[in-house]
Amino acid sequence: MKNIRTKNSIDLSVEIAGIKMKNPVLAASGTFGYGTEYLPLVPPGLFGAVITKTITLLPRAGNKPPRVYETPGGMLNSIGLANVGAEKFLKEKLPELLSHHPVVIVNIAGNTMEEYVELAGMLKGRPGISGIELNISCPNVKQGGVAFGSDPIQAAKLTTLAKKAADKPLIVKLSPNVADIAAIARAVEQAGADAISLINTLYGMAIDIDKQRPVLGNITGGLSGPAVKPVALYNVFKASRAVKVPVIGLGGIMSSDDAVEFMLAGASAVQIGTASFVDPSAVKEITGGLKDYCLKKGYSKVSQITGKLAV
Amino acid sequence: MMLEQKVKITSHQKIAPQVFLMAYASPQMAAQARPGQFVHLKPSGPGPLLLRRPFSINRVKGSNLFIMYRVVGRGTSLISSLPKGTEMDVLGPLGKGFEISRKYSEHVILAGGMGLAPMQFLADRLKAMKLESRIFYGCAGKKEMLPCPAPGKIIATDDGSCGYKGFVTDAFLTCIDKFKKPVVYACGPWPMLKRTAMICRQHNIDCQVSLEAFMACGVGACQGCVVKGVKEYVTVCRQGPVFDSREIDWEQEFGL
Repeated sequence: MKNIRTKNSIDLSVEIAGIKMKNPVLAASGTFGYGTEYLPLVPPGLFGAVITKTITLLPRAGNKPPRVYETPGGMLNSIGLANVGAEKFLKEKLPELLSHHPVVIVNIAGNTMEEYVELAGMLKGRPGISGIELNISCPNVKQGGVAFGSDPIQAAKLTTLAKKAADKPLIVKLSPNVADIAAIARAVEQAGADAISLINTLYGMAIDIDKQRPVLGNITGGLSGPAVKPVALYNVFKASRAVKVPVIGLGGIMSSDDAVEFMLAGASAVQIGTASFVDPSAVKEITGGLKDYCLKKGYSKVSQITGKLAV
Repeated sequence: MMLEQKVKITSHQKIAPQVFLMAYASPQMAAQARPGQFVHLKPSGPGPLLLRRPFSINRVKGSNLFIMYRVVGRGTSLISSLPKGTEMDVLGPLGKGFEISRKYSEHVILAGGMGLAPMQFLADRLKAMKLESRIFYGCAGKKEMLPCPAPGKIIATDDGSCGYKGFVTDAFLTCIDKFKKPVVYACGPWPMLKRTAMICRQHNIDCQVSLEAFMACGVGACQGCVVKGVKEYVTVCRQGPVFDSREIDWEQEFGL
């Protein structure tokens, strides 16, 4: 009984950029829909926060199918930010999302800097939205996305504008498809980002050798899943040493051990995506496993893991 | 209500070249499953497969769900090697199945190749409801023919080695006028479904098609498995896999 009490007393809560979360496991953008699709399987409230699909100013149909494909240890996707658009999201999707999930972070993207600013402005004064995640790292769109996230000057400029237009904590989501992640991280921090999250997917492709054609309708896609974990961990390690703002790590986290690795490397919280596709209740195992780890190592708060890596 | 369960394979056998029939026991899924719905499964525990694989429900017998599938890639190849007793993680039943209405006087099933998979469950259900049904089953040739126990079924083979020589859609077309107020349910390769949809449109026959696609989540969250509808992309996993054929934009070309 003593052990059970001790496990229950471990404090999983974290506060990132002023957003209070009951645990450090977040649903990654684009992998949890509008927060209702998994309701029959995943009871509400298991995640520290739910990050919405990327919302754009106008509805987006997304890319030509096929859009997903499995590769060894990974998943390629070329969804292309398919979403209902900001207006419909605010009117129809957000109220239901908020009724099920206590902490909601809205992920946004635009084709132009002006669109990002307009979107951030539309979210202003909306009760219930805890924060904004700025997607400057999607590899599956022609305009916007990683185009803004791969150049420190552009990334900083966009962050400054979005920060000015928003009235909520701003998390900037970075791409691994860059030469120097530390430079990008520093640039967005100096421009006012309250936190950074990384990594978005890596550029990838697959070819059907019978048809001699790319498998994905969009030709190329973004790679996620266990295959990208070492790359993600490296980027989190590099970025978290370059900035003072909190870092949220993601990329191939499938288990609590994976989550611990990211936190040791410097992450204050983690996001899971592909893991939810494989096992909708992965979040349960991960939060439970984080408690076990704290217990084993003698920590009373999960936040004590962050940055503990001895190098 | 979809369920996530660990189940055990109760039988697994090869029934034709590259084609397998697997069963697993789940009283809850068996009770809930409707013809046309699918399950999303993978072997339990860590292994070389990352994502689940979607399979239509071939039949339900007692508390067993049957899955009939062809080995087409890495996932189905690995799954085909799983012996009886292996534990699997299953999500299901998922998606929208066939809509069965008593307003039709005849229920016509068109199955092309592996498209037979969800149709046996449908035929069983129609029979249980005492509705008049007829199966048209087409395949490349006698060697590729799948077991399809249905009295009065009409067989078509591309090479003429058995039954009508030609496509299953042509076999159907030759006797289309014999049906009074029919509804057509079709499953098979994209060109066959497209042709079925065109024939039904010309003859003003209601037609439901079952589609397939690569998918990740299986519940409508990722938007990975879409096909083009007449208005917008529709998710095969949640809005389908069964659609009214008039909802689909048949002009598209996929690597399906």
